[in-house]
Amino acid sequence: MARKAFMIDSSRCTACRSCQVACKQWNKLPADAAINWGSYENPPSLTAHLYNKIEFIEKEQDGKFKWLFLNQRCLHCGEAGCLKVCPSTGALFRTEEGLIGFNKDKCISCKYCVNGCPFDVPRYDAQGKITKCHGCIDRVAAGLQPACVKACPTGSLKFGDRDKLISEAELTGLKLYGDKALSGLGAMYLLEEKPQEYRLAENPNIPQSIFLWKDVIKPLGILGFWGAIGAVMLHYVTVGPKRPDEDDSSNQNQGGEKHE
Amino acid sequence: MSNYVKRFSAFDRVVHWVLAVAFFVLLFSGLALFAHTFFNYFDFFGGPQQGILAHKIAGIFFLITSVLLFFTQIKDTCRFDADDAKWFGAFGGYLSRSKIDIPQGKFNAGQKLYAIFAIIAATVLGLTGYVIWDPTAMERGLTQWSLMLHGLFFVLIIVGAVIHIYLATIGNPGTAEGMLWGRVRRVWAKKHASKWYKEVTGDSD
Repeated sequence: MARKAFMIDSSRCTACRSCQVACKQWNKLPADAAINWGSYENPPSLTAHLYNKIEFIEKEQDGKFKWLFLNQRCLHCGEAGCLKVCPSTGALFRTEEGLIGFNKDKCISCKYCVNGCPFDVPRYDAQGKITKCHGCIDRVAAGLQPACVKACPTGSLKFGDRDKLISEAELTGLKLYGDKALSGLGAMYLLEEKPQEYRLAENPNIPQSIFLWKDVIKPLGILGFWGAIGAVMLHYVTVGPKRPDEDDSSNQNQGGEKHE
Repeated sequence: MSNYVKRFSAFDRVVHWVLAVAFFVLLFSGLALFAHTFFNYFDFFGGPQQGILAHKIAGIFFLITSVLLFFTQIKDTCRFDADDAKWFGAFGGYLSRSKIDIPQGKFNAGQKLYAIFAIIAATVLGLTGYVIWDPTAMERGLTQWSLMLHGLFFVLIIVGAVIHIYLATIGNPGTAEGMLWGRVRRVWAKKHASKWYKEVTGDSD
């Protein structure tokens, strides 16, 4: 099946937050208490009950105040750090549409995914189970749009065939973010400014430490273990054990074979 | 005259074997987290959450016994002399069948190196283990590098353990007796630790 994706046109976003509300409604998520921290952006970060969120980025341009709005969520990476580190097969999984879902029953609360994610997206709920945007895989499987996309009144959020969304995006003249990164993100952005202005990494990647851990150390570990086993076996049958001098034969308990 | 020389006290032995048991608990629970192939090892512990808990508890035992073992043996493990340099030069005689005669103390140069490696590994695993005890409690970058280092020293200690177990059992017959019952045979001591043998027995031959 052709890969499906979100296309998030930041220039069309009015920060109405219909997407946040629709997500909570569909996924039956309770509200988080807002806090006063000097911004309309609330809650300040994704939570276990908040799978997507509008970031309110405040800018000054030519002496005028300007807002940049960005819908923050799981970006359903083609090469996903969370899937790379998850020890429990099926706790995180990729659907045939390319979205990354989760199964709380299989989650073992190790929190590796939190650290494997290039975008700091996964959160843990009060029961110690993973939560994040799953792209409404249940709706998508039934041929529906994800709840946030369905609710978006400006067309800022789109969902559909990934290749088609990219070719449409190229006509807008805006900067396309995420078409190539991490084997292609499953949620791409159309930006008016540089990615850094939106608190996005210019070249997002699996964290280096996580790459070393899973792609270098782990294979070396397999090699190291079997290498060591092989080496000692080889040593035993070639050089052989170092037996104490055999003049003290009354104390030999090593059987009949003698070296030297 | 007894055929045996006392090598390890009951305290040394108990510490060592608590450490060894903790090591294997850590090994099996850790492998389940390390690779999908071993995920079912969690079944030994009653489930993944219990396996992670066992890993944490065993980790505390492992760190404490590692520190105890290191500091009780420190006077015999951290000083290297000219004989040790010779020992390293000849790879401890492990690469040929011909006999070598390099006098060694209670521990040979390789054992000293392993003791130092073991305490470094235990310290790194302990510190990084503390950071990843709750992988969302501390700063993300610190947690990520701790996960990596924990994996790296896990791999190193596995390789170390394979070699340690081989050399202490079938690779050097008679060695394990010291750690099991506290004494080694005189012939063993003369062959493997002649300086130590002279020191503890006063024998000159």
